[in-house]
Amino acid sequence: MQLPDMIRPSAEAAESRLHYTDGTSRTVFATEVEVPFPEGRLIVSRTDLQGFITHANDAFVELSGWERGELIGMPHHILRHPDMPRVAFQGLWDTIKEGKKWHGYVKNLRKDGSYYWVYATAVPNIRNGQIAGYTSVRRKPSRTRINELIPVYRQWLAQEQGNTAP
Amino acid sequence: MTLNFLIAPDFSPERFAGWHMLNTLLQRRSGVQLHLLTPASPAEQAAALAQDKVDVVYANPFDAADMVRDKGYVPFARPAGRFDEMVIATGSNSSLQKLEDIQPGSRIALTDNKDVRLIGLRLLEPADLNESLIEWVPVDSFQAAARLAIKGEVEASFFLAEAYASLTRLTRSQLRVLVESRISDISHVLLAHPRIAGELPRISQALLGIGQQRGDSDVLEALGLPKGFEPMTQEEAEFMIDLMDTLLD
Repeated sequence: MQLPDMIRPSAEAAESRLHYTDGTSRTVFATEVEVPFPEGRLIVSRTDLQGFITHANDAFVELSGWERGELIGMPHHILRHPDMPRVAFQGLWDTIKEGKKWHGYVKNLRKDGSYYWVYATAVPNIRNGQIAGYTSVRRKPSRTRINELIPVYRQWLAQEQGNTAP
Repeated sequence: MTLNFLIAPDFSPERFAGWHMLNTLLQRRSGVQLHLLTPASPAEQAAALAQDKVDVVYANPFDAADMVRDKGYVPFARPAGRFDEMVIATGSNSSLQKLEDIQPGSRIALTDNKDVRLIGLRLLEPADLNESLIEWVPVDSFQAAARLAIKGEVEASFFLAEAYASLTRLTRSQLRVLVESRISDISHVLLAHPRIAGELPRISQALLGIGQQRGDSDVLEALGLPKGFEPMTQEEAEFMIDLMDTLLD
């Protein structure tokens, strides 16, 4: 599904062109504004087999900055932040399609270009022995772990951009 | 035939009469004889389930996972607007001001309550704490957990939020909440064994109807469930179990 390009926010923002695995792409603007993960809450969403959002809880709606009606039916990569290397997600879909659980630290993009960090877990929804969809639950991450991962993700991203550079 | 109706052992002691009132009302309205089982501990509950003598159960969400997926129990209702949340609190004289102030090696008191433990462990993660970095102090009741925190014998205690709220005002004034979960997706559930499929519609209809007649509010108030019960589908229960699964590690 082709997502519309983001509107440039009023705050200073870095412009990027993101390319998704479904072959589509869009322009996003990322600011340096971090929104803290709300204490005591979980962000919960569900997708269908193709990764389109079918359920978003209140915390997801609030933290993403999107209205619930805007999220439902959208591909989950609507949250993809340009600082996230593709390799960080490598294995996510392979893992959950095999019926297994996936964990990872993820920097997510909000509608307004700001960001939030999460510790994400995704599980397949197995019904009558078949995978019927996927549930993703995001919880408040360890700041220590994020600080360890920021340079790692930055290095991976640089390698990916180097590999794709003309 | 009398069916056994088991109540998970994690309700506050003052709700005991409420469950008996509910059981009496359910029998009268459904025409099904129900024998109330109120095990005193998770071990007693496990023993009753192992003997395969539980027909209807008010299960905590952690136990519901196994009962639905492995034993084939059928979800049919849950408390309306009442979710299972937990509180991590310290003594009011403690130097701890926020969750991140809890240090490795700290002592935390907790009851034998799996969902409180599970959610609490997840809430400790941002403080770089895991199960092995805490000195766990098992206690028999939330009141005991409160006493240890107030006396400074533990750095913090885990509480079911409902149990924390039901502590006396004096007790709560001597505690400080470091964090309270607001998950809003995890609740106790009512399950029926598949062998009672014939009786379930009458039981379910009677339960879901409580709140509509005069005097019902007394029962619901005694249970601490003023909004009564709402239907729960198999898929809604499966969704909750998937969510619990993400919290296991």
